Amino acid sequence: MTTFLLGIGLILCFLVLLVLYRVVFGPGVFNRVAAISAIGTKTLIILLIMGFLYNRVEMFIDISMVYALLNFIGCIAAAKYLEMEK
Amino acid sequence: MVFRKDDIIVNTISRILIPFIQLYALYVIMHGHYSPGGGFQGGVILGASLVLLLLTRGYDETRLKIPENSMKLFASAGVLIYAGVGLLCLFFLGNFLDYSKLAVLLHVDPAQARSLGILAVEIGVGFAVMAVMYSIFLDISTGGVLAEDEEEE
Amino acid sequence: MEVTLLIQAADESFRLLENARVQAVELLNTAVKLTSETRYVEARKVASLFRGAQDAKSGLQNFLATFILLFAFWVILSGKFDAFHLSLGVICTFIIAYLSHDLLFANVRVGDIRVIVQRFVTYMPWLIYQIVTANMHVAYLALSPRMPINPQIITFKTKLESDISWVTLANSITLTPGTITMDIQDGEFVVHALSKKVADDLNTGEMEDRVAHIFMEADHIYIQDVLDVARIFGEMKKVA
Repeated sequence: MTTFLLGIGLILCFLVLLVLYRVVFGPGVFNRVAAISAIGTKTLIILLIMGFLYNRVEMFIDISMVYALLNFIGCIAAAKYLEMEK
Repeated sequence: MVFRKDDIIVNTISRILIPFIQLYALYVIMHGHYSPGGGFQGGVILGASLVLLLLTRGYDETRLKIPENSMKLFASAGVLIYAGVGLLCLFFLGNFLDYSKLAVLLHVDPAQARSLGILAVEIGVGFAVMAVMYSIFLDISTGGVLAEDEEEE
Repeated sequence: MEVTLLIQAADESFRLLENARVQAVELLNTAVKLTSETRYVEARKVASLFRGAQDAKSGLQNFLATFILLFAFWVILSGKFDAFHLSLGVICTFIIAYLSHDLLFANVRVGDIRVIVQRFVTYMPWLIYQIVTANMHVAYLALSPRMPINPQIITFKTKLESDISWVTLANSITLTPGTITMDIQDGEFVVHALSKKVADDLNTGEMEDRVAHIFMEADHIYIQDVLDVARIFGEMKKVA
Protein backbone atom coordinates (compact mmCIF):
# COMPACT_ATOMS: atom_id res chain seq x y z
CA MET A 1 0.00 0.00 0.00
CA THR A 2 2.78 2.41 0.86
CA THR A 3 4.57 1.66 -2.40
CA PHE A 4 1.38 2.33 -4.35
CA LEU A 5 0.83 5.65 -2.59
CA LEU A 6 4.48 6.58 -3.04
CA GLY A 7 4.19 5.90 -6.77
CA ILE A 8 1.10 8.07 -7.04
CA GLY A 9 2.82 10.85 -5.11
CA LEU A 10 5.79 10.79 -7.46
CA ILE A 11 3.54 10.87 -10.53
CA LEU A 12 1.72 13.88 -9.09
CA CYS A 13 5.04 15.62 -8.45
CA PHE A 14 5.95 15.05 -12.07
CA LEU A 15 2.62 16.56 -13.12
CA VAL A 16 3.33 19.59 -10.94
CA LEU A 17 6.60 20.06 -12.80
CA LEU A 18 4.70 19.96 -16.07
CA VAL A 19 2.34 22.70 -14.93
CA LEU A 20 5.33 24.70 -13.67
CA TYR A 21 6.26 25.25 -17.29
CA ARG A 22 3.12 27.31 -17.72
CA VAL A 23 3.89 29.33 -14.62
CA VAL A 24 7.33 30.29 -15.92
CA PHE A 25 6.67 30.72 -19.63
CA GLY A 26 2.98 31.58 -19.72
CA PRO A 27 2.49 34.57 -21.97
CA GLY A 28 0.62 37.00 -19.76
CA VAL A 29 -0.46 36.89 -16.17
CA PHE A 30 -3.77 34.99 -16.53
CA ASN A 31 -1.95 31.82 -17.52
CA ARG A 32 0.25 32.10 -14.46
CA VAL A 33 -2.68 32.60 -12.07
CA ALA A 34 -4.59 29.61 -13.46
CA ALA A 35 -1.49 27.43 -13.33
CA ILE A 36 -0.78 28.31 -9.69
CA SER A 37 -4.33 27.44 -8.79
CA ALA A 38 -3.91 24.07 -10.53
CA ILE A 39 -0.65 23.44 -8.65
CA GLY A 40 -2.53 24.14 -5.43
CA THR A 41 -4.98 21.30 -5.99
CA LYS A 42 -2.20 18.83 -6.63
CA THR A 43 -0.31 20.01 -3.56
CA LEU A 44 -3.35 19.09 -1.47
CA ILE A 45 -3.28 15.48 -2.60
CA ILE A 46 0.49 15.25 -2.18
CA LEU A 47 0.13 16.50 1.41
CA LEU A 48 -2.50 13.88 2.17
CA ILE A 49 -0.35 11.12 0.68
CA MET A 50 2.53 12.27 2.85
CA GLY A 51 0.20 12.05 5.82
CA PHE A 52 -0.57 8.42 5.00
CA LEU A 53 3.10 7.62 4.58
CA TYR A 54 4.01 9.08 7.96
CA ASN A 55 1.03 7.41 9.68
CA ARG A 56 -0.21 10.77 11.02
CA VAL A 57 -3.17 11.52 8.80
CA GLU A 58 -5.00 13.76 11.28
CA MET A 59 -2.27 16.36 11.34
CA PHE A 60 -1.95 16.55 7.58
CA ILE A 61 -5.68 16.80 7.04
CA ASP A 62 -5.70 20.05 9.03
CA ILE A 63 -2.81 21.43 7.02
CA SER A 64 -4.32 20.51 3.66
CA MET A 65 -7.69 22.03 4.56
CA VAL A 66 -5.97 25.32 5.39
CA TYR A 67 -4.08 25.22 2.13
CA ALA A 68 -7.26 24.55 0.14
CA LEU A 69 -8.93 27.54 1.81
CA LEU A 70 -6.05 29.89 1.12
CA ASN A 71 -5.77 28.68 -2.47
CA PHE A 72 -9.46 29.44 -3.03
CA ILE A 73 -9.29 32.91 -1.49
CA GLY A 74 -6.05 33.73 -3.26
CA CYS A 75 -7.47 32.75 -6.62
CA ILE A 76 -10.55 34.93 -6.12
CA ALA A 77 -8.46 37.88 -4.94
CA ALA A 78 -6.09 37.60 -7.92
CA ALA A 79 -9.00 37.39 -10.35
CA LYS A 80 -10.69 40.48 -8.88
CA TYR A 81 -7.47 42.43 -8.96
CA LEU A 82 -6.76 41.53 -12.58
CA GLU A 83 -10.30 42.45 -13.56
CA MET A 84 -9.86 45.84 -11.97
CA GLU A 85 -6.52 46.35 -13.71
CA LYS A 86 -7.99 46.11 -17.17
CA MET B 1 -11.40 45.68 -6.12
CA VAL B 2 -13.71 45.83 -3.15
CA PHE B 3 -16.85 46.86 -5.00
CA ARG B 4 -19.81 44.56 -5.16
CA LYS B 5 -20.35 42.85 -8.46
CA ASP B 6 -23.39 40.74 -9.25
CA ASP B 7 -21.51 37.49 -9.54
CA ILE B 8 -23.92 34.80 -8.45
CA ILE B 9 -21.62 31.80 -8.15
CA VAL B 10 -18.85 33.42 -6.13
CA ASN B 11 -21.27 35.36 -3.92
CA THR B 12 -23.38 32.32 -3.06
CA ILE B 13 -20.43 30.04 -2.35
CA SER B 14 -18.74 32.69 -0.22
CA ARG B 15 -21.81 33.33 1.87
CA ILE B 16 -22.23 29.64 2.54
CA LEU B 17 -18.55 29.03 3.30
CA ILE B 18 -17.73 32.02 5.54
CA PRO B 19 -19.22 30.68 8.82
CA PHE B 20 -17.44 27.38 8.30
CA ILE B 21 -14.13 29.09 7.62
CA GLN B 22 -14.48 31.15 10.78
CA LEU B 23 -15.40 28.10 12.81
CA TYR B 24 -12.37 26.27 11.42
CA ALA B 25 -10.17 29.20 12.44
CA LEU B 26 -11.48 29.08 16.01
CA TYR B 27 -10.95 25.32 16.05
CA VAL B 28 -7.33 25.83 15.00
CA ILE B 29 -6.80 28.38 17.79
CA MET B 30 -8.37 26.26 20.52
CA HIS B 31 -6.63 23.02 19.57
CA GLY B 32 -3.15 24.44 19.35
CA HIS B 33 -1.91 21.91 21.90
CA TYR B 34 -2.87 18.80 20.00
CA SER B 35 -2.68 19.52 16.29
CA PRO B 36 -0.82 22.03 14.15
CA GLY B 37 -2.20 25.46 14.78
CA GLY B 38 -2.23 27.96 17.54
CA GLY B 39 -2.81 31.64 17.74
CA PHE B 40 -1.14 33.04 14.68
CA GLN B 41 -2.44 30.45 12.23
CA GLY B 42 -6.02 30.80 13.45
CA GLY B 43 -5.74 34.56 13.24
CA VAL B 44 -4.59 34.34 9.63
CA ILE B 45 -7.55 32.16 8.69
CA LEU B 46 -9.96 34.53 10.45
CA GLY B 47 -8.41 37.45 8.62
CA ALA B 48 -8.71 35.56 5.33
CA SER B 49 -12.42 34.96 5.94
CA LEU B 50 -12.95 38.68 6.53
CA VAL B 51 -11.04 39.43 3.35
CA LEU B 52 -13.35 37.06 1.48
CA LEU B 53 -16.34 38.89 2.93
CA LEU B 54 -14.87 42.18 1.79
CA LEU B 55 -14.11 40.91 -1.72
CA THR B 56 -17.52 39.49 -2.43
CA ARG B 57 -19.83 41.82 -0.57
CA GLY B 58 -18.11 45.07 -1.35
CA TYR B 59 -16.85 47.74 0.93
CA ASP B 60 -20.13 49.52 1.65
CA GLU B 61 -22.02 46.51 2.96
CA THR B 62 -19.14 45.16 4.98
CA ARG B 63 -18.61 48.51 6.62
CA LEU B 64 -22.08 48.22 8.17
CA LYS B 65 -21.24 44.85 9.67
CA ILE B 66 -17.61 45.47 10.63
CA PRO B 67 -16.77 49.13 11.19
CA GLU B 68 -13.12 50.07 11.00
CA ASN B 69 -13.03 51.28 14.59
CA SER B 70 -13.85 47.82 15.83
CA MET B 71 -10.68 46.55 14.19
CA LYS B 72 -8.63 48.97 16.24
CA LEU B 73 -10.42 47.69 19.34
CA PHE B 74 -9.70 44.08 18.41
CA ALA B 75 -6.02 44.68 17.85
CA SER B 76 -5.64 46.55 21.12
CA ALA B 77 -7.70 43.95 22.98
CA GLY B 78 -5.47 41.17 21.70
CA VAL B 79 -2.31 42.82 22.95
CA LEU B 80 -4.06 43.70 26.20
CA ILE B 81 -5.00 40.07 26.82
CA TYR B 82 -1.45 38.92 26.17
CA ALA B 83 0.23 41.49 28.39
CA GLY B 84 -2.59 41.28 30.94
CA VAL B 85 -2.11 37.57 31.51
CA GLY B 86 1.60 38.16 31.94
CA LEU B 87 1.02 40.95 34.45
CA LEU B 88 -1.48 38.79 36.31
CA CYS B 89 1.27 36.22 36.77
CA LEU B 90 3.47 39.02 38.11
CA PHE B 91 0.83 39.92 40.69
CA PHE B 92 0.90 36.37 42.05
CA LEU B 93 4.61 36.65 42.81
CA GLY B 94 5.89 34.76 39.78
CA ASN B 95 7.91 35.78 36.78
CA PHE B 96 6.35 37.52 33.81
CA LEU B 97 4.24 34.91 31.91
CA ASP B 98 4.86 32.24 34.55
CA TYR B 99 1.45 30.60 34.23
CA SER B 100 1.84 28.12 37.03
CA LYS B 101 1.24 30.86 39.56
CA LEU B 102 -2.30 31.22 38.15
CA ALA B 103 -3.22 27.90 39.74
CA VAL B 104 -4.36 29.75 42.84
CA LEU B 105 -6.85 31.80 40.78
CA LEU B 106 -8.32 28.96 38.75
CA HIS B 107 -8.32 26.19 41.40
CA VAL B 108 -6.44 23.70 39.23
CA ASP B 109 -2.98 22.13 39.51
CA PRO B 110 -0.01 24.08 38.07
CA ALA B 111 0.36 21.97 34.89
CA GLN B 112 -3.28 22.57 33.95
CA ALA B 113 -2.83 26.25 34.78
CA ARG B 114 0.06 26.48 32.32
CA SER B 115 -2.11 24.92 29.62
CA LEU B 116 -4.96 27.34 30.24
CA GLY B 117 -2.60 30.28 30.39
CA ILE B 118 -1.16 29.45 26.99
CA LEU B 119 -4.69 29.10 25.59
CA ALA B 120 -5.59 32.58 26.84
CA VAL B 121 -2.47 34.05 25.31
CA GLU B 122 -3.17 32.37 21.97
CA ILE B 123 -6.66 33.83 21.89
CA GLY B 124 -5.18 37.29 22.34
CA VAL B 125 -2.70 36.68 19.54
CA GLY B 126 -5.52 35.48 17.28
CA PHE B 127 -7.54 38.65 17.78
CA ALA B 128 -4.58 40.88 17.08
CA VAL B 129 -3.53 39.03 13.93
CA MET B 130 -7.06 39.03 12.52
CA ALA B 131 -7.47 42.76 13.07
CA VAL B 132 -4.11 43.61 11.55
CA MET B 133 -4.61 41.46 8.45
CA TYR B 134 -8.02 42.96 7.77
CA SER B 135 -6.72 46.50 8.29
CA ILE B 136 -3.74 46.01 5.99
CA PHE B 137 -5.92 44.58 3.21
CA LEU B 138 -8.47 47.39 3.58
CA ASP B 139 -5.75 49.99 3.57
CA ILE B 140 -4.02 48.72 0.45
CA SER B 141 -7.17 48.08 -1.55
CA THR B 142 -8.91 51.37 -0.89
CA GLY B 143 -5.74 53.39 -1.37
CA GLY B 144 -5.67 54.59 2.20
CA VAL B 145 -8.81 56.73 1.86
CA LEU B 146 -11.48 55.69 4.34
CA ALA B 147 -15.02 56.94 3.95
CA GLU B 148 -14.92 58.49 7.40
CA ASP B 149 -12.03 60.73 6.35
CA GLU B 150 -13.95 61.81 3.29
CA GLU B 151 -17.04 62.69 5.27
CA GLU B 152 -15.17 65.04 7.54
CA GLU B 153 -14.19 67.32 4.68
CA MET C 1 -66.69 -5.07 -50.19
CA GLU C 2 -66.79 -1.43 -49.16
CA VAL C 3 -68.78 -2.38 -46.08
CA THR C 4 -66.07 -4.84 -45.02
CA LEU C 5 -63.45 -2.15 -45.48
CA LEU C 6 -65.62 0.27 -43.53
CA ILE C 7 -66.04 -2.22 -40.68
CA GLN C 8 -62.32 -2.87 -40.66
CA ALA C 9 -61.58 0.84 -40.60
CA ALA C 10 -64.02 1.40 -37.73
CA ASP C 11 -62.47 -1.52 -35.84
CA GLU C 12 -58.98 -0.12 -36.37
CA SER C 13 -60.02 3.36 -35.26
CA PHE C 14 -61.67 1.98 -32.10
CA ARG C 15 -58.49 0.08 -31.29
CA LEU C 16 -56.42 3.22 -31.76
CA LEU C 17 -58.79 5.23 -29.61
CA GLU C 18 -58.60 2.58 -26.88
CA ASN C 19 -54.80 2.71 -26.97
CA ALA C 20 -54.84 6.47 -26.80
CA ARG C 21 -57.26 6.39 -23.87
CA VAL C 22 -55.02 3.99 -21.91
CA GLN C 23 -51.96 6.14 -22.55
CA ALA C 24 -53.81 9.29 -21.57
CA VAL C 25 -54.92 7.70 -18.29
CA GLU C 26 -51.34 6.73 -17.52
CA LEU C 27 -50.11 10.23 -18.30
CA LEU C 28 -52.83 11.73 -16.14
CA ASN C 29 -51.90 9.47 -13.23
CA THR C 30 -48.24 10.46 -13.46
CA ALA C 31 -49.12 14.11 -13.72
CA VAL C 32 -51.42 13.87 -10.72
CA LYS C 33 -48.66 12.24 -8.70
CA LEU C 34 -46.24 15.01 -9.62
CA THR C 35 -48.70 17.81 -9.05
CA SER C 36 -49.55 16.42 -5.64
CA GLU C 37 -45.93 17.11 -4.74
CA THR C 38 -46.26 20.60 -6.18
CA ARG C 39 -49.50 21.04 -4.30
CA TYR C 40 -47.76 20.08 -1.07
CA VAL C 41 -45.04 22.62 -1.70
CA GLU C 42 -47.57 25.32 -2.60
CA ALA C 43 -49.58 24.56 0.54
CA ARG C 44 -46.49 24.94 2.68
CA LYS C 45 -45.70 28.23 0.97
CA VAL C 46 -49.20 29.60 1.60
CA ALA C 47 -49.09 28.40 5.21
CA SER C 48 -45.79 30.11 5.85
CA LEU C 49 -47.12 33.29 4.28
CA PHE C 50 -50.09 33.27 6.66
CA ARG C 51 -47.86 32.47 9.60
CA GLY C 52 -46.15 35.74 8.89
CA ALA C 53 -42.42 35.60 8.47
CA GLN C 54 -41.38 38.53 10.61
CA ASP C 55 -37.74 39.41 10.77
CA ALA C 56 -37.11 38.43 14.36
CA LYS C 57 -38.76 35.04 14.07
CA SER C 58 -36.88 33.97 10.97
CA GLY C 59 -33.75 35.42 12.50
CA LEU C 60 -34.10 33.13 15.50
CA GLN C 61 -34.76 30.11 13.29
CA ASN C 62 -31.77 30.98 11.14
CA PHE C 63 -29.65 31.39 14.24
CA LEU C 64 -30.67 28.01 15.67
CA ALA C 65 -30.18 26.19 12.39
CA THR C 66 -26.76 27.79 11.90
CA PHE C 67 -25.84 26.96 15.50
CA ILE C 68 -26.73 23.28 15.15
CA LEU C 69 -24.97 22.89 11.81
CA LEU C 70 -21.81 24.61 13.03
CA PHE C 71 -21.73 22.64 16.26
CA ALA C 72 -22.00 19.38 14.32
CA PHE C 73 -19.06 20.56 12.21
CA TRP C 74 -17.06 21.36 15.36
CA VAL C 75 -17.72 17.95 16.86
CA ILE C 76 -16.63 16.26 13.64
CA LEU C 77 -13.44 18.33 13.49
CA SER C 78 -12.29 17.82 17.07
CA GLY C 79 -12.56 14.22 18.16
CA LYS C 80 -12.52 15.06 21.86
CA PHE C 81 -15.75 14.79 23.82
CA ASP C 82 -14.73 15.95 27.28
CA ALA C 83 -16.56 18.81 28.93
CA PHE C 84 -13.85 21.41 28.49
CA HIS C 85 -13.57 21.13 24.73
CA LEU C 86 -17.30 20.81 24.24
CA SER C 87 -17.95 23.95 26.25
CA LEU C 88 -15.28 25.75 24.23
CA GLY C 89 -17.12 24.53 21.13
CA VAL C 90 -20.44 25.86 22.37
CA ILE C 91 -18.95 29.30 23.11
CA CYS C 92 -17.19 29.57 19.75
CA THR C 93 -20.23 28.35 17.81
CA PHE C 94 -22.45 30.81 19.67
CA ILE C 95 -20.21 33.74 18.78
CA ILE C 96 -19.99 32.82 15.11
CA ALA C 97 -23.68 31.98 14.77
CA TYR C 98 -24.55 35.32 16.31
CA LEU C 99 -22.27 37.26 13.98
CA SER C 100 -23.23 35.54 10.75
CA HIS C 101 -26.72 34.15 11.19
CA ASP C 102 -28.04 35.95 8.16
CA LEU C 103 -25.42 34.52 5.85
CA LEU C 104 -26.06 30.83 5.66
CA PHE C 105 -29.81 30.49 5.17
CA ALA C 106 -30.61 33.76 3.47
CA ASN C 107 -32.73 32.61 0.54
CA VAL C 108 -34.15 29.38 1.87
CA ARG C 109 -37.07 28.18 -0.17
CA VAL C 110 -40.08 26.57 1.35
CA GLY C 111 -39.73 22.86 0.86
CA ASP C 112 -38.92 19.81 2.90
CA ILE C 113 -35.26 20.13 3.82
CA ARG C 114 -34.97 16.41 4.56
CA VAL C 115 -36.23 15.46 1.10
CA ILE C 116 -33.85 17.90 -0.56
CA VAL C 117 -30.85 16.57 1.36
CA GLN C 118 -31.81 12.96 0.63
CA ARG C 119 -32.19 13.68 -3.08
CA PHE C 120 -28.90 15.54 -3.11
CA VAL C 121 -27.16 12.50 -1.64
CA THR C 122 -28.62 10.23 -4.31
CA TYR C 123 -27.58 12.71 -7.03
CA MET C 124 -23.89 12.37 -6.17
CA PRO C 125 -23.23 8.86 -7.61
CA TRP C 126 -24.77 9.87 -10.95
CA LEU C 127 -22.56 12.94 -11.03
CA ILE C 128 -19.46 10.86 -10.27
CA TYR C 129 -20.37 8.50 -13.08
CA GLN C 130 -20.70 11.45 -15.49
CA ILE C 131 -17.33 12.79 -14.35
CA VAL C 132 -15.65 9.43 -15.00
CA THR C 133 -17.05 9.03 -18.51
CA ALA C 134 -16.29 12.62 -19.49
CA ASN C 135 -12.79 12.20 -18.05
CA MET C 136 -12.11 9.28 -20.33
CA HIS C 137 -13.40 11.16 -23.34
CA VAL C 138 -11.25 14.22 -22.61
CA ALA C 139 -8.21 12.03 -22.00
CA TYR C 140 -8.76 10.41 -25.39
CA LEU C 141 -9.02 13.87 -26.97
CA ALA C 142 -5.87 15.17 -25.29
CA LEU C 143 -3.70 12.13 -25.97
CA SER C 144 -4.54 11.51 -29.62
CA PRO C 145 -1.90 12.99 -32.00
CA ARG C 146 -4.10 15.35 -33.98
CA MET C 147 -6.23 16.47 -30.96
CA PRO C 148 -9.70 16.76 -32.49
CA ILE C 149 -11.09 19.46 -30.22
CA ASN C 150 -13.73 21.91 -31.32
CA PRO C 151 -14.04 24.60 -28.64
CA GLN C 152 -17.34 26.44 -28.65
CA ILE C 153 -19.36 28.64 -26.36
CA ILE C 154 -22.94 27.66 -25.58
CA THR C 155 -25.59 29.86 -24.01
CA PHE C 156 -28.80 28.44 -22.67
CA LYS C 157 -31.60 29.59 -20.44
CA THR C 158 -32.46 27.49 -17.43
CA LYS C 159 -35.80 26.75 -15.84
CA LEU C 160 -34.35 26.79 -12.33
CA GLU C 161 -35.33 29.56 -9.96
CA SER C 162 -33.29 29.90 -6.81
CA ASP C 163 -29.62 30.81 -6.67
CA ILE C 164 -28.58 27.64 -4.86
CA SER C 165 -29.83 25.50 -7.73
CA TRP C 166 -28.05 27.78 -10.21
CA VAL C 167 -24.84 27.34 -8.27
CA THR C 168 -25.32 23.56 -8.06
CA LEU C 169 -25.83 23.31 -11.81
CA ALA C 170 -22.86 25.59 -12.55
CA ASN C 171 -20.60 23.59 -10.25
CA SER C 172 -21.76 20.28 -11.74
CA ILE C 173 -21.03 21.56 -15.24
CA THR C 174 -17.58 22.79 -14.19
CA LEU C 175 -16.75 19.58 -12.33
CA THR C 176 -17.47 17.54 -15.44
CA PRO C 177 -14.31 17.65 -17.56
CA GLY C 178 -14.81 19.29 -20.93
CA THR C 179 -17.25 21.98 -19.89
CA ILE C 180 -16.70 25.12 -17.84
CA THR C 181 -19.35 27.58 -16.73
CA MET C 182 -18.09 31.03 -17.57
CA ASP C 183 -20.86 33.30 -16.40
CA ILE C 184 -24.50 33.49 -15.39
CA GLN C 185 -26.17 36.58 -16.81
CA ASP C 186 -29.85 37.12 -15.98
CA GLY C 187 -30.60 33.44 -15.73
CA GLU C 188 -28.66 32.55 -18.86
CA PHE C 189 -25.70 30.21 -18.60
CA VAL C 190 -22.60 30.86 -20.72
CA VAL C 191 -20.69 27.58 -20.97
CA HIS C 192 -17.46 26.80 -22.78
CA ALA C 193 -17.38 23.27 -24.17
CA LEU C 194 -14.37 21.44 -25.54
CA SER C 195 -15.80 19.27 -28.31
CA LYS C 196 -19.08 18.59 -30.03
CA LYS C 197 -19.76 15.42 -28.02
CA VAL C 198 -19.66 17.15 -24.64
CA ALA C 199 -21.72 20.01 -26.06
CA ASP C 200 -24.39 17.55 -27.18
CA ASP C 201 -24.31 15.87 -23.79
CA LEU C 202 -24.93 19.23 -22.20
CA ASN C 203 -27.69 20.26 -24.60
CA THR C 204 -29.87 17.24 -23.82
CA GLY C 205 -30.60 18.96 -20.51
CA GLU C 206 -30.46 15.84 -18.36
CA MET C 207 -28.27 17.47 -15.72
CA GLU C 208 -30.67 20.41 -15.50
CA ASP C 209 -33.64 18.07 -15.03
CA ARG C 210 -31.87 16.21 -12.27
CA VAL C 211 -30.89 19.39 -10.44
CA ALA C 212 -34.47 20.64 -10.73
CA HIS C 213 -35.60 17.32 -9.28
CA ILE C 214 -33.31 17.76 -6.27
CA PHE C 215 -34.63 21.14 -5.26
CA MET C 216 -38.24 20.38 -6.17
CA GLU C 217 -38.38 23.21 -8.70
CA ALA C 218 -39.81 23.61 -12.17
CA ASP C 219 -42.70 21.37 -11.26
CA HIS C 220 -45.19 23.85 -12.61
CA ILE C 221 -44.39 22.76 -16.15
CA TYR C 222 -46.38 19.60 -15.59
CA ILE C 223 -49.56 21.48 -14.76
CA GLN C 224 -49.96 22.51 -18.38
CA ASP C 225 -49.65 18.89 -19.45
CA VAL C 226 -52.30 17.92 -16.93
CA LEU C 227 -54.66 20.55 -18.27
CA ASP C 228 -54.17 19.39 -21.87
CA VAL C 229 -54.59 15.73 -21.01
CA ALA C 230 -57.65 16.43 -18.91
CA ARG C 231 -59.31 18.14 -21.84
CA ILE C 232 -58.63 15.16 -24.13
CA PHE C 233 -59.75 12.76 -21.40
CA GLY C 234 -62.98 14.64 -21.02
CA GLU C 235 -63.69 14.48 -24.76
CA MET C 236 -63.04 10.74 -24.83
CA LYS C 237 -65.39 10.20 -21.92
CA LYS C 238 -68.12 11.93 -23.89
CA VAL C 239 -67.45 9.75 -26.92
CA ALA C 240 -67.22 6.42 -25.09
